[in-house]
Amino acid sequence: MKIIGFIAVCITGWLLLSAINDFPDFGDPHSPANGYRLSQYYITDTFTDTSVPNMVTAVLADYRGYDTLFETVVIFTAGIAIIGILRRYGSSDKSVGRSKAFIEEPRKDLLIHTTCRLLIPIIQLFALYVIAHGHHSPGGGFQGGAIFGASFILLALAHNLKTAEKRMPERRILTLAGVGIFIYAGFGLACLILGNNFLDYSILHKLLPITPIEARSHSMLGVEIGVAFTVTAIMFSIYSNLVSSSRMKEGL
Amino acid sequence: MILNIICITLVSLGILFFIGGALGILRFPDYYTRMHAAGKGDTMSILLIFGGIALYQMHEVTVANALVAGKILFIAAFIMLTSPTSTHALMRAGYEEGIRPWTRKTKKGQSDS
Repeated sequence: MKIIGFIAVCITGWLLLSAINDFPDFGDPHSPANGYRLSQYYITDTFTDTSVPNMVTAVLADYRGYDTLFETVVIFTAGIAIIGILRRYGSSDKSVGRSKAFIEEPRKDLLIHTTCRLLIPIIQLFALYVIAHGHHSPGGGFQGGAIFGASFILLALAHNLKTAEKRMPERRILTLAGVGIFIYAGFGLACLILGNNFLDYSILHKLLPITPIEARSHSMLGVEIGVAFTVTAIMFSIYSNLVSSSRMKEGL
Repeated sequence: MILNIICITLVSLGILFFIGGALGILRFPDYYTRMHAAGKGDTMSILLIFGGIALYQMHEVTVANALVAGKILFIAAFIMLTSPTSTHALMRAGYEEGIRPWTRKTKKGQSDS
């Protein structure tokens, strides 16, 4: 049996390795996936349209802004649904098999606490960088928000849920999640009020002393910030609900 | 040429340590010794491999290459911080849950896995 497994692994590995040659090069504009006229338009015209070098973000936040807006709404809805289904109020203590001291006292572990103290600021700084640099390099609101939410989860893992809850109470979670979508939709509405289509950012140059092309670039940043708010809040909300059997009191 | 040789040596050494870690996870008798192999072997091997890659980036000494090499070294530094800590956390969690360390005197009937 072991020999058959070994042969299967070898054959699969050989197949995978032999397929490497057929991959298109990294960033190859003539790869089959980029063969359509639509892709060619994005490749040639994104920078002149929006002055954003990262065309993925341009497609995501500008050309297909509706899609991303409702993606954010989907995340918001998922978070609200999890809170709505799982969250239980009131105080019955029978749900957890662990002792009270274990729950109440934050665990003292010098090594883990020191590492977290070192790492959490760096993680959060990196998350902000990923958000703010989303239209220049790989990154954006979803990724940065996920990293930011993960830093709160790390805090909850290293100390306990209460410590993280102090930094990020439930009320604040819900507010931030809503504010994120309002920021995104607000950009769209501002475009609408100024007389353009919904989420057509170029009209926003009237508000600031910039050109219409720059307005599209900067609006993408604003939109990403909105997305990041929602993703951060919902990430931590899902974690804290699932881990504490929805009482927000104890858990890991 | 010399740079290439150094890079190849570093990466090969890293892979050797990786194999050691993988063998340790497979072959060691209990939880604690397995985590020991995983924590030490992986950290060392990732340091070596990333050191080799970072050095390879410096083929031509330009600012852009130095930036890439620096980022790789940053990743190595973060892994050096976090990998032992996570191993420590897992060990402690296992100890608090009451997993007994393996000894040679395990009775015949009990499985030691």
